[in-house]
Amino acid sequence: MTYKEVAHTNGYEFTQGGGYELPTYPFVPPPEIGSGAPARHPIVIVGGGITGLTLACSLARLGVPAILIDEDDTVGVKGASSRGICYTQKSLEIFERLGIYEHIAAKGVQWSVGRTYAGHDEVYSFDLRQQGGYRLSQQPPFINIQQFYIEAFLVDRINALGHVQLRWRNRLTAFEQDEHGALLSIETPAGAYQVRAEHVIDATGSASPLRKWLQVPFDSKRGDDRWCIADVRFTTRPPQERHTWIEAPFNENRAVWQHLMGDDVWRIDYQMAPNADPAYVSREDVVRERLARQFGPEVEVEIVWVGPYAYRSECVHAMRHGRVFFMGDSAKVVSPFGARGGNTGVADADNLAWKLAAVMRGRAAPALLESYGDERLEAARENVRVTNRTARFLRPADGIERTYRNAAIALAKRHAFARPLINTGRMAVANPYTRSRACLYGEGSAAGQSVQNVAFAWADGREGRLNQLLDWAAGDLLLLCFGPLSRADRKRLAGLSATAPLRVVQVVGADDAAQCLEHVRDLKGALRDACQAAAGGWALVRPDAYLAAHGRAVNADLVQAIGLALGLTGVNA
Amino acid sequence: MITTPNWQDADTFYEQLLDAQADLSPEQIQAFSARLILLLANQMGDARVLADCIAAAREAL
Repeated sequence: MTYKEVAHTNGYEFTQGGGYELPTYPFVPPPEIGSGAPARHPIVIVGGGITGLTLACSLARLGVPAILIDEDDTVGVKGASSRGICYTQKSLEIFERLGIYEHIAAKGVQWSVGRTYAGHDEVYSFDLRQQGGYRLSQQPPFINIQQFYIEAFLVDRINALGHVQLRWRNRLTAFEQDEHGALLSIETPAGAYQVRAEHVIDATGSASPLRKWLQVPFDSKRGDDRWCIADVRFTTRPPQERHTWIEAPFNENRAVWQHLMGDDVWRIDYQMAPNADPAYVSREDVVRERLARQFGPEVEVEIVWVGPYAYRSECVHAMRHGRVFFMGDSAKVVSPFGARGGNTGVADADNLAWKLAAVMRGRAAPALLESYGDERLEAARENVRVTNRTARFLRPADGIERTYRNAAIALAKRHAFARPLINTGRMAVANPYTRSRACLYGEGSAAGQSVQNVAFAWADGREGRLNQLLDWAAGDLLLLCFGPLSRADRKRLAGLSATAPLRVVQVVGADDAAQCLEHVRDLKGALRDACQAAAGGWALVRPDAYLAAHGRAVNADLVQAIGLALGLTGVNA
Repeated sequence: MITTPNWQDADTFYEQLLDAQADLSPEQIQAFSARLILLLANQMGDARVLADCIAAAREAL
């Protein structure tokens, strides 16, 4: 049975404008074509968007072989290349580990101040740099950059690292699986071939064919809200700040978003009437008229890209179906407010990558892979819940929902208390994991929380940061021990690191004597803050910079936490 | 949630509430009520109490 009719794209239509120049990648005929038997590949990633490429790059970095197939030969989507734009601190930390952060920082735009208007009045503003949660990391709260740039940086990095083959213009046409493995049928310009795989990762996005073929159950909710994006470059008088309007006088009192991205391109995103015709609202003359209403008739713009969109929310009931792992938009679909689409796809990939790598290298039990579902399904559900609330605020039902929104806006203009009700998007965060089988939760424990990429000093005084420690740990668990260690502790730790995939680092103050282990100096206590650890305690940090557990003494809790973090069954019994 | 009398002056509040809406249209009354509920909710703050109050208001239907 084949399924050729399924399109693997998001189906943006009616695009206008000059567009972006996307890189194209050569089709290389796969070696399997012409050979009789299906080739074996332990890991096959389907889909080369930001999620699939992040996973591919993470595996490549850990030296784990895989192939990635993508039906296209470019990043972004042909003719519709403008997609995600806001990247969170957590994603930027992940990209730093993968070796592409410097490119992103150079091309993108850092921002931290946002202002929200209703009519001509400012109702709300925030500065993320003033918010405590962002201060410890070496990465800024957010960078805006066109998604395809990140994808292109990932492609270059994967090709440089090796281990993972990127196969462009390779289209999945059929799939089956049983207890022995998965069988994928793939079409290319040079002919068809089949591949057997142990693990298949579905990163095909919101129109996932695998989800359809496998009849994966999911919850779905469709709204009638309509939007139209205009990506524009101003040749005269560009806007100065990142603004959002809940009610814009120049857009019939509907919402408008205004963000700066790379290349001095502004994304102006207009909320449309619910019954708007997508073809009409994205016509170039109509878009120009709309821009003139906002910026004045004398302002000249170059239209880079225009596209209408609607959104829905969806969430699978389980992140794994046999040998198939769902990630990114193939697992859940959210409205774009708060940047919870692409960023959580990146986090999905980062979560699964180290677990797959540890299992493939024989350094963790296969049961560890089940924790991917525990952790990322909790994140997916939370992101769906948060974005649905935003969608409801931005497109209230007629009647009492609109009455309450008007009440909240009216009060927010005068009183600070009402400003938290104004919901133009709750910016994506590193989702905490509160119910994972791979974490050991104790009273008041920070287990399951993300650790920021904080700075410290290496033993020789040079500045280091957490990502470099994770890099050094090379996919193994990282145990940070804060403060002095007794002789007995050191002996136990030496035993543990000799038998488990575990790297132990002692963290000491400026003047403390280091003991016999690897050590770093936490001059400002930032590392301890980031791990939410007590003096004399330890923090078990996973390769995805999440805390598996923390504790006070080198004891049985630590042994149990290591076991859980490696998927050893029965440990938590 | 407090369900026993906690008023300092119930009659005065009741009179003020009615007076404030006496000359309003039905739409204005709805808007007034929404603003008042949001103001009062913030005075309470406690998420559990607010949830209990919403549930209690539904039960009276």
